Amino acid sequence: MIASAWIALFAPAVGVALIALARDAISRQQAGIIAAGSTFVSFTASLSTFAIMLGDDPEERSHFSTLYTWLSAGSLEIGLQILVDPLAVFMMLVVSGVGFLILTYAIGYMHGDDEGRRYHAYKALFVFSMLLLVQAGNLLILLVGWGMVGLSSYLLINYWHQRSSAVAAGKKAFIVNAFGDAAFVISIFLLAQQLGALDFLTVFGTALGSIKLSSTVAVVIALGLLGGAVAKSAQVPLHTWLPDAMEGPTPVSALIHAATMVTAGVYLIVRTHVLFELAPAVLDTAALLGGVTILIAGAVALVQTDIKRVIAYSTMSQIGYMFAAVGLGAFAAGMFHLMTHAFFKALLFMAAGTVIHALANEQDIRKMRGLARELPWTYRAFLIGTLALAAIPPFAGFFSKDVILAHALAEGLIGPILWAIGLVGALLTALYAFRLLFIVFTAEPSQIARRHLHRERFEGPLSMMLPIGALVALTAVAGFIQVPGGWHAVDTWLEPVAASLQKPSAWMEIASPVAALALAALGTVLAWRFWGRESDVPAKARSAYPRAAGTLEQKFYFDEAYDAVLARPTQRLAVFLKRSIEEPLILSSLGEIAGSVRELGQRFSRLQTGLLRSYALALAAGLALIAAVFIAVR
Amino acid sequence: MGPGIGAYLVLSVLLFATGTVGVLIRRNPLIVLLSLELMLNAANLALIGFARQHGNSDGHIFALTVMVVAAAEAVVGLGLIVAMSRRKLKLDVDQMKQLRG
Repeated sequence: MIASAWIALFAPAVGVALIALARDAISRQQAGIIAAGSTFVSFTASLSTFAIMLGDDPEERSHFSTLYTWLSAGSLEIGLQILVDPLAVFMMLVVSGVGFLILTYAIGYMHGDDEGRRYHAYKALFVFSMLLLVQAGNLLILLVGWGMVGLSSYLLINYWHQRSSAVAAGKKAFIVNAFGDAAFVISIFLLAQQLGALDFLTVFGTALGSIKLSSTVAVVIALGLLGGAVAKSAQVPLHTWLPDAMEGPTPVSALIHAATMVTAGVYLIVRTHVLFELAPAVLDTAALLGGVTILIAGAVALVQTDIKRVIAYSTMSQIGYMFAAVGLGAFAAGMFHLMTHAFFKALLFMAAGTVIHALANEQDIRKMRGLARELPWTYRAFLIGTLALAAIPPFAGFFSKDVILAHALAEGLIGPILWAIGLVGALLTALYAFRLLFIVFTAEPSQIARRHLHRERFEGPLSMMLPIGALVALTAVAGFIQVPGGWHAVDTWLEPVAASLQKPSAWMEIASPVAALALAALGTVLAWRFWGRESDVPAKARSAYPRAAGTLEQKFYFDEAYDAVLARPTQRLAVFLKRSIEEPLILSSLGEIAGSVRELGQRFSRLQTGLLRSYALALAAGLALIAAVFIAVR
Repeated sequence: MGPGIGAYLVLSVLLFATGTVGVLIRRNPLIVLLSLELMLNAANLALIGFARQHGNSDGHIFALTVMVVAAAEAVVGLGLIVAMSRRKLKLDVDQMKQLRG
């Protein structure tokens, strides 16, 4: 089992190395096949790990394996160590499975791009980083994976480096994530100092004994971890990078939003839930941040006009649900939603990618309309994704989101608040999801749609349509692995690693879905009235409340605020330091030193006459001088 | 008993000085090479003289080594001169100053 876990981890890395070494020897398409194939190997290995683990006793499913000691400092020894347990396997399956589908899709999507090999190598690197993150057996290896995920997302977001907006978006993602990484590192330092070890076995085993509940240390450690998780998972207030990350090619957006990266924060909290439970206040903070994100992102998604940005904000909002779940202690519920979200969000992005592909890179939904007739299969796929996103049964989102709500109701203090937020979020989700669907696909085709689509009834190559089909199937059936009041496969599977802190009663499991479903249906109907047919309601609302509309369109002014408070003062400081310190003190003095050395050299070079006999004379004269000195001194 | 060490050394110094002056004042590379050989052999003479003085053969060994090196040097030097004359360059060491700084 351990062997297959190692194979699952390193297969994508081998793929990256192959593509990098083969260079021009393989075509771009072959590079894509290598990347997708290596991820498929990884998925197969994950599946076999899962199958073997099923045979184990539920209490004995955690396995550590160390390849070698990576670094040792005093008594602190850190190995290249993986932990294979139900949680890790769960994430491995999601990451490698959805990753494989996305990489396959990318082969078709990136057809014709000039730098396809680099792209496919980055994608495989991304999958490898994420697998390293979820399989890490100690916090330092987890941090390595964490950092590499940040790096690969940076590389992929600014993949189209000719576009300055893409480069800026890549930098933004990297910098915002660096804030979270710094917080994460601080808590790792604290843990190393407090416990003298970083591997999960020791940390979780001794944390309860040596760190006091709610002590300052416990709170700082949990806050640091939360900071990292918030940045990586794009929760308020460190969420601003995610919408900009849409500058990357669409499969990148799918990879970042569905299978990897943004789910890392949720995973981190579940993985280190022992440390979070030592600081319950921080856990509550996580839940509330998730709640705030549900509302803010859901509201902003209502007015966005870029097809990918709408989906990006919906991702933030859905991750908000996961944060609320794990913050409440409903770890399995959070992971379940993570999985179903991976399926339907990847599906939505891929369908959106097909639309963008078909319209020659047009992303503005105001210019699309009535695409249903020209892209019937894409429309159906998008519809199923939207239904799942809006939590309409029997699609996956219905089951996972309502488990979260049921758990919220069972939690005493902040639970009801989050339950209410979750219900409002359900309404918002249905509104923005169906707004997107109706605007893009219904009504009469727009000009641009007619111009691009009339000639051929061709929605995309097979490598794009097959993954979409697979995800449609998964979105349709994945919810049934956990049915409220019926069976709880995910809960049972994750029980040994992260048991939920509360158990919702039967009426909560019935009441939550009913309430959420009613609101989702209401949202759908409203969306139909506003955007499904000709309606002046949105325009009227905009003119009646211009300030509210402006706030939403400016995304609650987060970017502007960070610009004013952080970015611009820092830039001004940098310019000041350059003008008044670096240029006069360092640059000019360096130049003068170099100049004087060069001048000295030029003077001495005149001695180099090139005349052989003058050299010989110098030699003889020097010898005579030395001889004279010797004789005189004696 | 032949002449003492002093006589050998005086002859050696005279030969060496002749060679040095030759290297310094002559411009024909062939003569410069000849003068160099003269200097080397002056040193050889001094070495042999010292060997005789001390009654052992260390100096002989040194002299033999110098001869081998001198032969090698003559090969390279003469080869250069042949190459120069083949390219119809003037045989004048003062003309060869392209390595000036």
